[in-house]
Amino acid sequence: MQQRSGGWKVINNWLGEKELKPFKFQEDAWKAYLQGKSGIVNAPTGFGKTFSLFLGAVIAWIDAHPKDYTHKTKNGLQLLWITPLRALAKDLGRAMESALQELNVPWQVGIRSGDTPVATRAAQKKQMPEVLIITPESLHLLLAQKEYPSVFKHLHTVVVDEWHELIGSKRGVMVELGLSRLRGLRQDQLKVWGISATIGNLDEALEVLLGPYHSDGLIIRAKLKKNIALKSVIPHEIENYPWAGHLGIKMLPQSLPIINDSQTTLIFTNTRSQSELWYQALLREDPMLAGALALHHGSIDMELRIWVEEALHNGILKAVVCTASLDLGVDFRPVDSVIQVGSPKGVARFLQRAGRSGHQPGAISKIFFLPTHALELVEAAALKAAMEQDLIESRMPVLLAYDVLLQYLMTLAVSDGFHGNEIWEEVRHTFCYQHITEDDWQWLLSFLTTGGEALGSYDEFKKVEREGNFYICRSRMMAMRHRLHIGTIVSDAMLKVKFMSGGYIGVIEEGFISRLSPGDSFTLAGRNLEFILIKDMTVLVRKSNSKRSIVPSYQGGRIPLSSNLGRMLREKFNEALSRNTKDPELIALQPLFNLQEELSHIPKANELLIEQIATKDGYHLFVYPFEGRLVHEVMAALLAYRISRIQPITFSIAMNDYGFELLSDQPIPLTAENAKQLFSTENLLMELQTSVNATEMARRKFRDIAVIAGLIFQGYPGKHKANRHLQSSASLLFNVFKDYDPQNLLLKQAFNEAFFYQMEEARLRETLERIAVSRIVITTPQKLTPFCFPIKVDSLRDTMTSEKLEDRIKKLITVNG
Amino acid sequence: MVAEIFHFQEQHWHLSPQRAIFWEEEKALILSDLHLGKAAHFRKAGIAVPAGIVQEDLFRLQQLITHYLPDRIIIVGDMFHSRENNEVQYFKLWRQQFSRISFDLVKGNHDIMADAVYEQLQINVHPALTLRNIHFIHEPCEDNNGFAYTFSGHLHPAFVMHGAGRQRLRLPCFYFGRHCGILPAFGHFTGSANLDPEERDPVFVIAGKSIIRAQ
Repeated sequence: MQQRSGGWKVINNWLGEKELKPFKFQEDAWKAYLQGKSGIVNAPTGFGKTFSLFLGAVIAWIDAHPKDYTHKTKNGLQLLWITPLRALAKDLGRAMESALQELNVPWQVGIRSGDTPVATRAAQKKQMPEVLIITPESLHLLLAQKEYPSVFKHLHTVVVDEWHELIGSKRGVMVELGLSRLRGLRQDQLKVWGISATIGNLDEALEVLLGPYHSDGLIIRAKLKKNIALKSVIPHEIENYPWAGHLGIKMLPQSLPIINDSQTTLIFTNTRSQSELWYQALLREDPMLAGALALHHGSIDMELRIWVEEALHNGILKAVVCTASLDLGVDFRPVDSVIQVGSPKGVARFLQRAGRSGHQPGAISKIFFLPTHALELVEAAALKAAMEQDLIESRMPVLLAYDVLLQYLMTLAVSDGFHGNEIWEEVRHTFCYQHITEDDWQWLLSFLTTGGEALGSYDEFKKVEREGNFYICRSRMMAMRHRLHIGTIVSDAMLKVKFMSGGYIGVIEEGFISRLSPGDSFTLAGRNLEFILIKDMTVLVRKSNSKRSIVPSYQGGRIPLSSNLGRMLREKFNEALSRNTKDPELIALQPLFNLQEELSHIPKANELLIEQIATKDGYHLFVYPFEGRLVHEVMAALLAYRISRIQPITFSIAMNDYGFELLSDQPIPLTAENAKQLFSTENLLMELQTSVNATEMARRKFRDIAVIAGLIFQGYPGKHKANRHLQSSASLLFNVFKDYDPQNLLLKQAFNEAFFYQMEEARLRETLERIAVSRIVITTPQKLTPFCFPIKVDSLRDTMTSEKLEDRIKKLITVNG
Repeated sequence: MVAEIFHFQEQHWHLSPQRAIFWEEEKALILSDLHLGKAAHFRKAGIAVPAGIVQEDLFRLQQLITHYLPDRIIIVGDMFHSRENNEVQYFKLWRQQFSRISFDLVKGNHDIMADAVYEQLQINVHPALTLRNIHFIHEPCEDNNGFAYTFSGHLHPAFVMHGAGRQRLRLPCFYFGRHCGILPAFGHFTGSANLDPEERDPVFVIAGKSIIRAQ
């Protein structure tokens, strides 16, 4: 093939001039592409994965137009490049443009995202560039335009970049639906390729990308290994290091030598609030960093973020404190060290972050693990072992997301309208909706046309009109509202933050601001701000000189431990117990382990530890399965339910990644005799449904669903007030659906999401089966142990009760009275 | 359903778990924040909330009326959610069965329909209302306004209780402040906001089918 392809020769010559040679996986990809195949390229960042597909398309183009490829322009859209992050688009575009220029191919490269100016969009509408880099949301916006099929008339290739980032989310479903439409338009002409980092279920990722009925997709693996050096920052005095906490500020001075010895350092924190605190604290600790230290997270103004990214690229910055917002893609060559503050909770995420340093092929990625509390050091040891064994997590694809499908159908309805049969065929051939029933489909259509079950003739529901089997939205008002709404996957209302005098700072959750009074100070984007008032969805502030300020906590900041890491963690505890470990982390923790052993016990891999402790708060029961917060939440509720059938009792429940706590105002009747039975898998599914506060979990899931499905009215820009009568919280909508329309599919979806994604029933069952063959060790320590302390002080709480509502109220009244 | 009879200001107030008060001496049923027409308002804008809420709310009101046989119904504001729509017409039909009972609406911030509409619905609209020196006004007053007592709505109050073992419970409530009492929202398609009451003021929570004094 190589010999016969003129394009291939052009590329080889070009590379040869730069004294470069393509990697084997790039040549494999070009070959497969030229054969007309679809598939996935699996390669680590920094090895030219972009060119493995982009140049494939260029080779094919040169082959097809050997005589005039150097001056053929205005060819229409050829290659659509989907990327999860707007920030990546610019970098990608630049790389493609310079390659095209050197190759003398006069293709245009365009970018389409939320930031694309109106003028550029209009120009694109007149003449599409040959290559368009786009986000999943913007792709759907293209589908919401009149006469959209003409845009894709010449399209032959779609590349989905960073597919591993998209696959586990509803944005991944948006990609699946977008692809289903493009396949419908272009039929066999369309080649679809993904680019993915290594994940546990790469084969499944391929199936999701190409659809379950596609059989000859292939995975091209780059057999290149990134060298990663992990080093833990061990507290100087482990005896005095806090047992609980998640900020790690106490360790901050030990991070300064790393920053000073490196060219540029990325400091990853797990939450936005933590990044704000670290930024402030670093400047206090080392004022010399002023001007060379920056902050980057999802709530910071886009322009500022872009500036930070450019500055990183150009090597101006010494360090950047960031969150997952810098996890992805962009090539920051000057970065040579990464500090991870607190546990990353998963192997894949840790690898990804480590890969942000040493971005050149062959370079070593240096990552430092900085624990926020003592026990977290064990996680560092576990991460190291998991990396050595290539234990990388899977990303579970989302199934039957009715909310995204409703949004998509509305998208098609506001552009040219759609034929029910045609779209039904496309949709049920996607991975996400392969099990959708015809009843579900009819329900979705009627939800859009008649608003679900309409009662009587006085109903005035209006959205999509049905003409035979053709569906279209003719209201310009609703069409406009829908276009504004596409892509709002964020659930809590975010408010803009601006200075009184003008000047945009960032966004903040409405829930946080509503707890502040005018005059209070808070921190955002590294600044101290005084809250003045909220006006038209905007928070107005001025600079604050107050010493004390509140750091906003953002929801969704807490990531649960993956099961791979949990297993490694248990093994490491086992190893620590053996006292002949070579891990520096475990050796450093020996004093803490000794104390735990003295006060209670350290569980071996075949043991389950339970601690019963009485304090002035009440009676505590601590259980340590080491399975991650989500599994613990469900297990705690199950155990609470089973105990509550022994006698009427009320618990408050807390959990972290290591274990969970049941706390009650009366002694908890768990004994060596009944313990095994309380953890059995008998009647599991039925008892789960009654025990877990599935309604509360579903209510939390419903927030996103209601927004995506278009039930939450977000208002028009600048026209906030006029529509106040259409404002409603997701929680209130959840209540009315539950009471008045229990068969609603969106409600069903909320419960499904709670059961399958949050409760991880399969993983829970495995855990219980493991416990069934384990020895249960019950101890009654006289004071709080190193294991239980973090759960007690640093957790989210739930309630489980078998007492009557009236009795509970009376008890609460007596206690308070 | 068991109402709690609260003796207060030398009057008898029957607090019903169906979110209304029956004032024995005046034979008046008092309620607030119905937000009739809210679901229809949403549906008209293409937001498919369930259509049956208005029937349920009015059925509950019907049950209260047949139980207490009041002479008048006092609505302390936000009887209707927004502009006129077909749910308002539904109310008009429903209203006919109780034509001898007078409906007195103390205007709330949501009551924005034209005067003629209220007239058609046989609703007397007042900016505020006073009976036996008891004052009714939609938005709560903070200070003494010269009347013996004031009843308001607007807030959709809920009360949060805390207990041993870090327990927490949140329920809609009737609140009797020093100068001003606040009614729970009657309509089901309404949210609620946490109340921060003075320590000695009576609070009655709605616990399913009964009323319990929480403080």
